[in-house]
Amino acid sequence: MSLLTVSNLTKRYRRGGKVVTAVDDVSFHIEPGETLALAGPSGSGKSTIAGLVLRLIEPDAGRIEFEGDDFLALRGAKLRARRARLQMVFQDPLAAFNPRATVARVLDDPLRIHGIASRAERPRRIAALLERVGLAADLAPRAIHEISGGQRQRVAIARAIATGPSLIVLDEAVSALDVSVRGQILDLLLDLQSQERIAYLFISHDLGVVRALARRVILLDAGRIAESGDARAVIDAPQSAIGRALVAAAPRLKRTTQDAS
Amino acid sequence: MNPLRRFLRTPEAVAGAILLAALIAMALIAPLLFPGDPQAIAGPALLPPFQDWSLPLGTDRLGRDVQAELFHGARTSLAVGLAAAAAALAIGSVVGTLAGFAGGLVDEMLMRVTDAFQTVPSFLLALAFVSVVGPSLGIVVAAIVLGTWTGPARIARAEVLSIRERDYVASARAIGMHPLEIAFREVLPNALPPVLAMSSVIVAAAVLTEAALSFLGLGDPNRVTWGGMIAEGRAVLRTAPFLSIVPGIALVLTVLGVYLAGEGIVETTAVRRGLS
Repeated sequence: MSLLTVSNLTKRYRRGGKVVTAVDDVSFHIEPGETLALAGPSGSGKSTIAGLVLRLIEPDAGRIEFEGDDFLALRGAKLRARRARLQMVFQDPLAAFNPRATVARVLDDPLRIHGIASRAERPRRIAALLERVGLAADLAPRAIHEISGGQRQRVAIARAIATGPSLIVLDEAVSALDVSVRGQILDLLLDLQSQERIAYLFISHDLGVVRALARRVILLDAGRIAESGDARAVIDAPQSAIGRALVAAAPRLKRTTQDAS
Repeated sequence: MNPLRRFLRTPEAVAGAILLAALIAMALIAPLLFPGDPQAIAGPALLPPFQDWSLPLGTDRLGRDVQAELFHGARTSLAVGLAAAAAALAIGSVVGTLAGFAGGLVDEMLMRVTDAFQTVPSFLLALAFVSVVGPSLGIVVAAIVLGTWTGPARIARAEVLSIRERDYVASARAIGMHPLEIAFREVLPNALPPVLAMSSVIVAAAVLTEAALSFLGLGDPNRVTWGGMIAEGRAVLRTAPFLSIVPGIALVLTVLGVYLAGEGIVETTAVRRGLS
């Protein structure tokens, strides 16, 4: 049974009398522990799909099944409880945190909300989470704006794994990081996946990263699936026009270094 | 740079802070310096200022010590100004946050109520409220709040409308935080700076409204107020103008001090926000 099954998902926006279809009849599934990549140019509906899967946006049509349940039927407290299993990491690690927060508070929230650890136990759990993502435990009292971008994205990942999720949506999670930090974060994500069997819905416009991380890829164009299949096969020999355009736009250097590895 | 140091470098802000400090000092030492009832008769009636050094600001028509009244009046002005501003900011930011964050019908309802309060001139609202319920300090504060909470509510709502689209609000939802906790713990504290920037305007307006109500005889009759003193002096404006001028000057300096200090704080924090 698939972990996540999305069927015929559709989302339309009304903009000044005109109806824009951001996501048009999209279907896909994710198996436990695997990485599915969603790639496409800006405005192709990648982030809308992330919002829909996370129930941050409500779809106009379609079905989402998560862990065997109709995810769209969940409401209120039941939905909030189930969110523990489905987490997300955003592109901009600074915007994703309350500007007043400290590292400890960011990690305390999910533990408290889902009753994972008692108040007395939480500082220890927070330290363990920080160490799990490769940060020093004494980072906890620091303010979010005081730490570096790479550290922030590690804190975001720590927050995402705090509730023991089975699926994490990574919305351009490494796109804002510089190249050396990007590699470390990708390594951390791969390590977490192999240890905890977390599935990723990896959203990116960077086909080099997609090729390195994902087994399957879906290429989106204007809200529709243009092409899908094995990540290496699709990226090495794209069949759709948008696929060829994306591959042509990817920096050459990155592709050759990854081919060499 | 240290915001306190930047504050101290702005001459207007320092002038405002000094005026405010003087007002607060007056309010605090009033019961020590002038124990007993400030409305008790202290000397001959209508003694002009600077004649008798035990009564440096003279006496009013009934022979009450103007200086004692002035100091005790500072207590009333300060209490009313601060209480009204605190209540208006609290109510306004809660209403604005709920409206902006909930959206839809809740937003529509709360904002129409806000409109209704805003269309009635706030002084008229206060006047009507006090004359119906009766004058006492608490009622006067409530009457002023009725007309002033709408400004903070609108500003808070506008701020919340932009904040609720931020990623960290989406993050809070994604980790399963309750909507009320998101509204009051994640959104409201970040919407506060522009709302708090209004506090000096509200304090100043509240002090003036309280004085105006007292001038019309709708202040708390058991307390000395500057507005009441001006009203008292009005009957003898030609023969003893100082009775109206002295509390009038105090009122002007208070409002000026609140404005200047408030502006200074807004200015220094605005620069700090811009830099970060």
